[in-house]
Amino acid sequence: MTNQTKVKRESKNRIRVEFDRTPLAERLKGKYVSTYFLGKVVWYIFRLALLIGVCYVILFPFYSKISSSFMSPEDFVDVTVRLIPKYPTLNTYTAIITENGYLKALLNTFILSGSCALIQTFVCSLIGYGFAKFKFKFSKLLFMLVIFTMIVPHGTLQLSMFMEFRYFDILGIMNLLGGGVVDWIRLTENTSFNLINTYWPLWILSATGLAFKNGLYIFMLRQFFTGIPDELEESASVDGAGVLRTFIQIVLPNAIPMMITVFMFSFSWQWTDNFYTDLFYTTSGPTLMPDIVGIPASLATNTAASTMMNTAITNTCGILILVPLILIYIFAQKYIIQGVERSGITG
Amino acid sequence: MALFRKSAKDLGIVKERKRGASLQARKARTGWLFVLPFVLGFALIYIPIIYGSLKYSFNEIDILTGGGYELVWVGFGNYMKALGDSAFVETLLTGITGLIIDIPTILLFSLFIAILLNQKMIGRAAFRAIFFIPVLLTTGLIASIDASNTLGDYMGSTGEGIDTGAGASSGAAEIVSATDLQSLFSGMVVGGELATYVTTVVNNIFDIVNRSGVQMLIFLAALQGISPSIYESCQIEGCSAWETFWKITLPMISPMILVNAIYTVIDSFTSENNEVMAYVNAMYNQAGDGNVISSAMAWMYFLIVIVIVAAVAGIVSMFVFYQKKD
Repeated sequence: MTNQTKVKRESKNRIRVEFDRTPLAERLKGKYVSTYFLGKVVWYIFRLALLIGVCYVILFPFYSKISSSFMSPEDFVDVTVRLIPKYPTLNTYTAIITENGYLKALLNTFILSGSCALIQTFVCSLIGYGFAKFKFKFSKLLFMLVIFTMIVPHGTLQLSMFMEFRYFDILGIMNLLGGGVVDWIRLTENTSFNLINTYWPLWILSATGLAFKNGLYIFMLRQFFTGIPDELEESASVDGAGVLRTFIQIVLPNAIPMMITVFMFSFSWQWTDNFYTDLFYTTSGPTLMPDIVGIPASLATNTAASTMMNTAITNTCGILILVPLILIYIFAQKYIIQGVERSGITG
Repeated sequence: MALFRKSAKDLGIVKERKRGASLQARKARTGWLFVLPFVLGFALIYIPIIYGSLKYSFNEIDILTGGGYELVWVGFGNYMKALGDSAFVETLLTGITGLIIDIPTILLFSLFIAILLNQKMIGRAAFRAIFFIPVLLTTGLIASIDASNTLGDYMGSTGEGIDTGAGASSGAAEIVSATDLQSLFSGMVVGGELATYVTTVVNNIFDIVNRSGVQMLIFLAALQGISPSIYESCQIEGCSAWETFWKITLPMISPMILVNAIYTVIDSFTSENNEVMAYVNAMYNQAGDGNVISSAMAWMYFLIVIVIVAAVAGIVSMFVFYQKKD
C-alpha cells in the first residue's frame, strides 16, 4: 500500500504522523463520480425546480394583480403590454380609495376583525384548555359537538342564522318581557332585538366559540395544551396560584406562538370573509371590505378593453383589501409555521 | 387504644372536609367553567339555529310586515322541489365526483410537498412562508374576486390574440392541453380517463395548491414528530430511502392521513368556491321561496357528505397504524 504512515516523535509528548494522501483527483473522483452523488444532484435539481414552480403558481396571480393595478386604459388596449405597464398610473388606487370608501371600510373591518379575533383567540384558548386538562363527565361528548360544529357547513345554516339574529331572543326572555306571551307584561317595546347591521352577531358567535372555523382553533389549542406538562401547573398550584391565575400567568404565556397563529387565522379569515358580512350587513349597515369591490364611477369606461380594465380594477380592490394582511403576515409568518408545527397535531 | 381513637378523629376531620367537594369533583367543575362559553353558545344559539334550519327546510316562509314571520308546513315539499330541480341534481353529482377525485390528489400533493419541505435545504423558511400564503390570503372575498379573474391567464399567455373584451383565448392559458397528454398516453395501455385526470390536475394546480395548505402543515408537523432514532436504526440496518419511506414514514404518519382525508372532505364542501354551495347560495338569494328550498338542498348535501366522510374514514382507517397501543 502507498498509504504507509510514518510516525515521528517530535518531543516527549508530541508525535507527528505523516502518510501519503490519495491524490486530489482520485479523491474528487471517488466523491463526485458515483451514482449516489448523481442521484443526489438530480434529486436536488428536481426538488428545487418543483418548489420554484409551485411558488410561481402561488405568486404569479399576485404579481399579475399588482402589475395590472398600475396599468392605465392605454395599456389594456395595447397588445404588446402584458406583464409590465407601459404608462403606469396610480389612478385606479386613488379612485378606489376616494370613491369606494376604502378608508371607512378599512377602519370598520379593522375594528370588526380585530375584536372578533381577540375574542375568538381568548375564548378558544379557554375552551381548548378546559378540554385538554380537565376530565369531567360528557367532556368527550362535548368535544364531539365541537367537531360537529366544524363539520356542518355554514351555508346550511344561513337562513336560520339570519333569522336568529334578526329576531334575537334568548330562551324567549325578550318575548316574555315584550308582551309576546302574556299581554299584561309589557316592559320593552319589541319582542326581540334586531342585531342585523350591528357587530353583535359576530361578537356573540365569537364569544361562544361558534364563529367561522372556531372548531379548528379549539382543536389546535387543545392539542397544544395537552402537550404542556402537568408538572408546570402542579408547581404553580403548590405555590398557591388558583386555576385561573395558573391559566393566565403560567399557561397562556407558554402558548403565545399558538395564540398568534390562531389570532392570525381568525383575523385574516374574518378580514376577507364575505359570507357573514353578506348575511349580517345590508347596504345600510357599516361599510366593510366586501362593499368596496366595485368599479368607481370615474373609471367606468366603454372601450374595447373594458372587461380587462374592470377585472384589473376589481383585482386592485383585492390588493387594497390584502395589503394590511400581507403586512401582518410578513411580521407573523414565523410564528404561524412554528405554532402549527409545535401544536403537536401529531396526536 | 388512644392511638386508634386519634386516627378515627383524624378520619372524621378528613371526611368533614370531603363533604365540600373532592379534588376530582372540583377539577371537573373548573373544567365545566372553562368550556362554559361553548356549552352556553351551543345550547342557546347553535341548537336553535340547527333546529331552525331543519324547520325551515320543511316549511314555507312569509315575512310579516310588522316584524316577525309565519311558517307554513309543507312536509317534504321543499326536498321534492330541490330534487325536481335538474340543475341542482346535476351540480350535486358533479360536485360529489369532483370531491372524490380531489381527495387523493390533495392528499398526495400535500404529502409530497410536506416531505420536500421537511428536507434540509437552502431557503426552506422562504419556501414554507410562500406555500402558506394561499391559506391565509386566498379565502372568501379574494377567492370570489379570483373566480372571475381572466387577467392572469391573459398575462401568462403568449398568444397574440387582440383583446376584444372577452378575455384571453382559453386554449393558450392551459399549462397542459389534453390532446398532448392523450398522444403521450396513447402508446401505453392506460385509457383516456387517466389522461383527462392528469390534465385536470395539472391545470387546476393553483386550486389544488390553494386547498392543500393546512393539510401540508399537518403533514409537516407529523413528519417532524417522527423520532430521528427510528431513522437512525433503519440506516444502521441498511434500509434504502425507498424502504424507509414505505416502512417507517408512511405508517408513522398514517393517522394524519386519516385526519387530512376527513379535513379535506369537510373543507372542500364547506368552502365558498364549492359548486354545490355556490348553487345553494344563489338559490338562497333568489326571490320567492328560494331560501327555504336552499335549506332543504343544503341539508341533503350535508347528509350525502356525512356518508362520504364515514366512507373515507372507514376506508382510510383500515390502513392506519397506531404506534401507541393504549
